[in-house]
Amino acid sequence: MFCLKDSEEFYLCLSEQPKRFDADSPVTNVFFDDTNGQVFTVRSGGVTGVTVNGMNDSKSTSFRMEDRGPIISIKFSPDHKVLAIQRNNENQNATIEFVNFENLIPTKVEYSHTCKWKNAKILGFVWPKANEIAFVTDHGIELLQVVAEKKQLKSLKSISFSGAWFSWCAPSNTVLLAGNNGALLQPFSLNNSTITKLQKLDLDAARPVVERDVFLLRLCEATWCAVFRHGVSNTHPVSGPTEVWLMPVSGPSSAHTHVLKTALVGRFAVNVVDDLVVVHHQSSHTSQLFDIMEEAKVENNVVNHIPIVQGCAMKPALVGDQPCPMYSSNWVVFQPDYIIDARLGCLWQVRLELSGLAHTIPKDEISKIVAVLLRRTNGKATIYTILNQLVTHADAYLVELSKVFDEINQVYRKWAEQEMARNTAGQPVDARPSQFKAVIAQADMCSQVLQAHSDLGCLVQVVTSYLASLSRYDMVVQHAVAELCVRALVTRGACGRLRALVRRGCLADSRPLACQLLSLGHIDPAAAQLALDMMWRLKGYEDIIEILLSWNEPVTAVGAARQAGGTVWPAAAARKLLQAAKPDPPAFVAIYHALQARNLRHRGSPHFLKGEQCDSYVEYYKQITTE
Amino acid sequence: MIDVKTKINSFFIFNSSFGPREGEEIKRVLFFHPNQISSDARKIQVGLCEAVVKFMSTFTSEPCEALQTQTKRYIFYQPEKGYWMVLVVRIPYTTKAVSAIGEGRAEFLDPSVMNDLLVSAYKMFRMFMGPFKDIPIEEIYSTCDEFFAPFIMSRNLTNDISDVIQGISYLPLDKNCFFKVMCFIDLLEVNYPDFKCISFVYNDQLIWNGLSSNDMLTLYQYLVQTLLPKQVEKEIQGGAIAAAQRHGRFISPPEGIRTQDDLRKLVKVHLLREDETETKQYYLIIYRTLSATVCFTIDVNTHLEIDTFRSLDAFIGPQLSTIASTISEQCAIHALQTAQLANTEHKFVYFNRLNLAFKTYPPVNKLIPSTSIKPEVLSIIAGIHADKKSLGNYGEVIIKTPDEYWITGKSSNDREFYVVIQEKNANLKEISDEVKRICEAQMKGIFFYPM
Repeated sequence: MFCLKDSEEFYLCLSEQPKRFDADSPVTNVFFDDTNGQVFTVRSGGVTGVTVNGMNDSKSTSFRMEDRGPIISIKFSPDHKVLAIQRNNENQNATIEFVNFENLIPTKVEYSHTCKWKNAKILGFVWPKANEIAFVTDHGIELLQVVAEKKQLKSLKSISFSGAWFSWCAPSNTVLLAGNNGALLQPFSLNNSTITKLQKLDLDAARPVVERDVFLLRLCEATWCAVFRHGVSNTHPVSGPTEVWLMPVSGPSSAHTHVLKTALVGRFAVNVVDDLVVVHHQSSHTSQLFDIMEEAKVENNVVNHIPIVQGCAMKPALVGDQPCPMYSSNWVVFQPDYIIDARLGCLWQVRLELSGLAHTIPKDEISKIVAVLLRRTNGKATIYTILNQLVTHADAYLVELSKVFDEINQVYRKWAEQEMARNTAGQPVDARPSQFKAVIAQADMCSQVLQAHSDLGCLVQVVTSYLASLSRYDMVVQHAVAELCVRALVTRGACGRLRALVRRGCLADSRPLACQLLSLGHIDPAAAQLALDMMWRLKGYEDIIEILLSWNEPVTAVGAARQAGGTVWPAAAARKLLQAAKPDPPAFVAIYHALQARNLRHRGSPHFLKGEQCDSYVEYYKQITTE
Repeated sequence: MIDVKTKINSFFIFNSSFGPREGEEIKRVLFFHPNQISSDARKIQVGLCEAVVKFMSTFTSEPCEALQTQTKRYIFYQPEKGYWMVLVVRIPYTTKAVSAIGEGRAEFLDPSVMNDLLVSAYKMFRMFMGPFKDIPIEEIYSTCDEFFAPFIMSRNLTNDISDVIQGISYLPLDKNCFFKVMCFIDLLEVNYPDFKCISFVYNDQLIWNGLSSNDMLTLYQYLVQTLLPKQVEKEIQGGAIAAAQRHGRFISPPEGIRTQDDLRKLVKVHLLREDETETKQYYLIIYRTLSATVCFTIDVNTHLEIDTFRSLDAFIGPQLSTIASTISEQCAIHALQTAQLANTEHKFVYFNRLNLAFKTYPPVNKLIPSTSIKPEVLSIIAGIHADKKSLGNYGEVIIKTPDEYWITGKSSNDREFYVVIQEKNANLKEISDEVKRICEAQMKGIFFYPM
């Protein structure tokens, strides 16, 4: 078992300070608008005040209004300039009232609109856009443009469909209408000021669904219809555990149906946090997490999932100083991540505590958890904590480390590929940056993990394992890693391994690496030999000349300069070469002649230029040749 | 070709301080081959050498290296102070006059090869028995006999390039494959901290070495010249690879390690590991699966449990056979690529003095000796190789034999490169250019000092 130090067992919690509002009571009605994430508390039908509260305090307000009958639904337009109210009045079934607002304060401008099907029953209304509203009725959907200043609504589009109830997904502006007594689910898209009928969802006609078992949710850049299927086991239709079926509504066409196996029965609710599906189970007071992006087999176009880790309760929350009853029957769960306790008057958002995912897990699931974390917005911090703990105990976790590195580098590789494609195509910034929520590049690995373990006995093994993983994903080792690797190997007397890695091409050629190897030459001549080879492959001819001069090989330095071609030989500093050869007169003469030939060829005269400061060598040449 | 039985006249080891008094001279002789020689004859031989060595010391502080008489050549080697190893070979003196450069030359060993034989014999001895000076006097005679008698008889000195230049053949592997080997070794060492992997050999080629390069050469030679040929023979006799062998087994001690008693038969060696500063005594454990052979050391002071070995066997077996299969696939691919690449009809030899890497084309295999290089050519290469001073740190020499062989020797940055070209009517420039071309084509990525 692996236990992440200083982590709590909880992987989910409620946002710290709940938004408080007046609790539901005979005189107070509470409404929640999941599009804007706002709670409306209406006291005495609005006469003693309406308070609007949300996670965004700048949009909170309170005002009074006349009580014109029991309210069914009340919602601001997304720009908070129009308030729409649906009332349960016998005589005006198909009418919505509007109040224009200015700076969150109601103006006197009020109007109303009745939908085109006079006898229809309005099931609800939604705001797909700041100035567009859709009436969802049992006859169909009517999309209207709100011209607030003229107190008018203009019909944009309507579509007939006989539905009994609906579900709404604000981020994708999708309405799902249930027809045929819950045996047919028909999604509509309300984008681009029109209504588009989407592919209907086929359900088992023998087992229709009810409203509380169906949700639209936004997950991984796609819209899904989540349906609770209770007891779907074929053999025992009643006793089987509940599954959550996620059916693609819109998004990538390759999407499969995902089946989340809860292995539980009872009352459930669903949230989505950071592309994870949270399935709350009331009777066991646990919440399960599902990651539909995990690697899984596709069978008959269906992918089965089990919870990432064993189900666990949310972290107990406080309201004021009092512990708050968790998984209360008063809780109402809204998309994507809202939980409301209407009795207490609290609005929370569900938050992930990623470290809790690694609190206690079997050793062989560490890499799976890291893979999950790599797909989370704030996953990196927890991955670093896990990695540091694994590296500290690398002697026990070498196999797991290798798998974790593979998960990290798989993502890193894909990210690098995308970056490369973007750079070569010169495309503007990709519209989907969220595809890579946590990328741990080589520099991150060094600064966040490896550098902190310079005293670790097993560092060589850890670094080797990381290099091996990079190599499996065909990533070139960057200098930060190479440098760390060289230091770790040299300080542990593993020069042999270092040379083997260089010889086998496991560390890519680079000038800094060559310089590092060169500096090891005094303890390990073979490293210097490799350094020179590497410089040669890198075409660092100037460096090679300097190295050879420092090794007292002036003739070879001249040879290297001549072979390098280009401007290296014409530009080679005559003074340096001659100075180095001075102790060896035959070499000096040879080099002197070579330089004269060079001068003749490139400047038309064998003499040295004044700037080359070779006068003393010319003298010396005369002296030794006349002797 | 050198045949130990007929060409080696004698091989002996002496230390003059062991029998200082008259009448005790025979005590000075630690070992003598052949053993049917009478003790008087031994005394005479050793006495002569003692005298020569002593005589030479008045002229130079350098120890005496060789002595040549009309019929014999003596090679001296003093590995430790006072301990002398002497190898004596017969010279076919009657033909000497006519064979100054011709056929006859091939029949006797080059002095440098003889010296190398002594050096490697000593190193092998020291690896298994430790230095002479650490062996108690009462045991040294039997110890030497026990080691050198079979050693000298088993030496199958062929006139092969790999005897002229003693190096290690490294297996070319792609990096992922190499990482597999490294990660396997790391995992093993982390799980069994007493075991240190000192070498990983595939067939007769080295992949990983954890010893100082000198000791590695000795262990490598022991593996590819002594242990593995026997092992391969056993495997071939056993017909198709038995299931047990596929899983791998301990091959040193030769009966394997099955019971606690077998642990007492473990071989002890004196080696200098790369990460240590001094030579220490270890148990040598050798494990083999398919064509992969892995050597481990365990400190001799470690308490050994048979269960550890059983668990190690279970741990290594399956992993090593997977790695061995991967390597064999790699080798097949590599062989295919080199077959397409190597379009040179000329022979070359590469040697790196720093890591002892040794490569020839066409490739030689210790298990299947080749005679692709003519003895007189070999002798010239041996000469260039032995005389490091003439080429210096860098240089090139081209030698032409009367039968149209051009031998080029290059030295650069502690590397040696020899090319043998047989071509009539060639000139020096053509040969030089051809060598340059071969060097660039075959030694990609290696920096040879430009001439």
